[in-house]
Amino acid sequence: MKGREHTNRAVIDRLPKSGERPEVIYRYAGDRFILLEYGDMVLDLRTNFRIFGLNDAIKKARIDGVIETVPALRSMLIHYDSLKLEPAHLVDILKQLESDVPPVESLIIHSRRIELPIAFEDRYTRADIERYVKYTRQDAPNIINGHNIEYIALYNGLSSKQQVIDYICSTQWWNACIGFWPGLPFMFPLDPRYAIVAPKYNPTRPWTPEGAVGIGGPCVAIYPVASPGGYQLFGRTLPIFDLQQRNPAFKDNPILLRATDRVEWQPVSDDKLEVLRAKVFDGSYRYKIVSYEAFHVKSYLKFLDSIKDEVAEFQRKQADAAKSAPVP
Amino acid sequence: MTDAHVCLGWRELSQMSIYLFFYLAWATWRIETGGHTEALNMMEVVEGGIQTTVQDYPGRVGFLDLGMYPAGPMDHLAFRFANLLVGNPLGAAALEVTLGGFKARFDRHCVIAVTGAPMPVTVNGVEVPMWQSFEVKPGDLLTLGMAKTGGFRAYVAIHGGIDVPEYMGSHATFTVGGFGGFEGRGLKKGDRVQLKLTPFSQKLVGRALRKELVPTYSFEWEIEAMRGPQADPDYMAAEDMEFFFSHSWKVDRNSNRMGIRLEPHKWQWARETGGVAGGHPSNILDNGYAVWTVNMCGDQPIILTADGPSLGGFICNATLIHASSWKAGQLVPGRDHVKFKEVTIDEAIAMARALETSISETNIVRG
Repeated sequence: MKGREHTNRAVIDRLPKSGERPEVIYRYAGDRFILLEYGDMVLDLRTNFRIFGLNDAIKKARIDGVIETVPALRSMLIHYDSLKLEPAHLVDILKQLESDVPPVESLIIHSRRIELPIAFEDRYTRADIERYVKYTRQDAPNIINGHNIEYIALYNGLSSKQQVIDYICSTQWWNACIGFWPGLPFMFPLDPRYAIVAPKYNPTRPWTPEGAVGIGGPCVAIYPVASPGGYQLFGRTLPIFDLQQRNPAFKDNPILLRATDRVEWQPVSDDKLEVLRAKVFDGSYRYKIVSYEAFHVKSYLKFLDSIKDEVAEFQRKQADAAKSAPVP
Repeated sequence: MTDAHVCLGWRELSQMSIYLFFYLAWATWRIETGGHTEALNMMEVVEGGIQTTVQDYPGRVGFLDLGMYPAGPMDHLAFRFANLLVGNPLGAAALEVTLGGFKARFDRHCVIAVTGAPMPVTVNGVEVPMWQSFEVKPGDLLTLGMAKTGGFRAYVAIHGGIDVPEYMGSHATFTVGGFGGFEGRGLKKGDRVQLKLTPFSQKLVGRALRKELVPTYSFEWEIEAMRGPQADPDYMAAEDMEFFFSHSWKVDRNSNRMGIRLEPHKWQWARETGGVAGGHPSNILDNGYAVWTVNMCGDQPIILTADGPSLGGFICNATLIHASSWKAGQLVPGRDHVKFKEVTIDEAIAMARALETSISETNIVRG
């Protein structure tokens, strides 16, 4: 370890790749945090699943001095008290815990299934996109007929707006982590046959309504509050953040979603969404949350294997379309 | 009706004197403590200043995985010294005053201490020292003038603390989300802020911090930091890190409790692009951000501070250490310069231990 300090002072230690587990790099993030990075810079949900396996192991180990963890796509940030727990000792414990994490294919992750209504091209996202064209960029190629969905079709080689909507509603969306802003989910499609992608706005959009749903790269997010944003918008859903905690879903804290949740979209009309949103705020709406479900990685991987060819076919068409599509 | 009811005899008089005694005792207690009624236990804001918020330490810890940075004081050292001086628990709710211009009137007799960036502090126009507790009587006006000689934030601790509701376990104001503290926002003229009910204690008046422990606030800062998590050779070039740790960085005007922006720089980088995470070599697949880390947002370094984003897709090439992160809270936007000094983990821990030990009763003297 001494010799390594000179070449990479940010790295505390490494755990070489072993079997299906990628290499783990333990990095200093100051004297109160360490950051674990897994494998190469690739988007692979199996790595994310594994990180939740480790997260469970850390929680079960109840390590004195560990304050909290932030699991993310291919990394885990650990907040600890270095006056109580020496970083080298913490890394030793974490390396040990890696061997306690079951192989990814046998992981069973507690995962809630949440059904959210969505109004595609609703009046609020439409209004903010209109403002963007008026005040920010008139010739934005990502805005066709006043919205982003037709552009998403173009960029992914889909035939129509309706096909984009069908794709979005055909897969569950895995919430890999929460962050940036309180309650903001980073969601990825569990069915890669419907894994649409989209480049971000350029320049960013100064306005996005609360509850807007959009995509940037491969990631789908819901805006917890009205804010600037760069994602191509689908439409709008129910509130996922409510400071005033006006609905039982916000009883414990103002944040609806958790990492490892699976979100399913239920298309509704713009007017219906308005009615549902009002019911959220008067407390009478019950969010459709199935909280006892578990996500079996093994059967998921089997499923992935069964659709390999279709995925390859979609990705080929998608890549062709992206080549000829304008980028904002 | 009989005579007995209208005549006051000795018996009635002695009874009345007992009532009078109790009444006077109650009134005295009420004046001394601010009483048990809300009306006599408030601080009325006369001027809010640029940004004055209620904070506690260590803030809203434990919700980083829900996207919540901790909020809390930008300068945790001066904040805790202020509480120490007035005999509060070190993390008790107190005020963070940005640049100055804050005025408040107190209903009750209390002990106050002001620490942090030097600002002219007066009670009813009469100057009182910083870093030393003083007495404020009902109706007195406390004023913090503008910081001019260095430093950006001062802290006002009131014995007993500020009585705002807890939100998710903390009194700290999270300015971005508009929650915590006093109605989730900075204080404004006319706000009436509830104080914790605490009897006035004469022995808490005149407590001062040892002179040698009072930090110096200048226009040029040196802040100790550790390399990483994403530095050289895998994310940045060795020359980049050398530049980062030797350059005197101008603090951008556009800095606040979310982040302190430094000037953009043309970096060499170690990678051509961010690959799957994006075109720019500062891009990575989103990961959690340590509090007080230096985020490379494209070409611009930003120190992520108390109300910052918890997660994102940019590398962080260095992280301020606990013993020095408070200095970031004192950087004056658009004016100060900062250099980062690299330290090892062992040095960082030793400094943290020394700093934590210094915030103790043994360093309090009679002013």
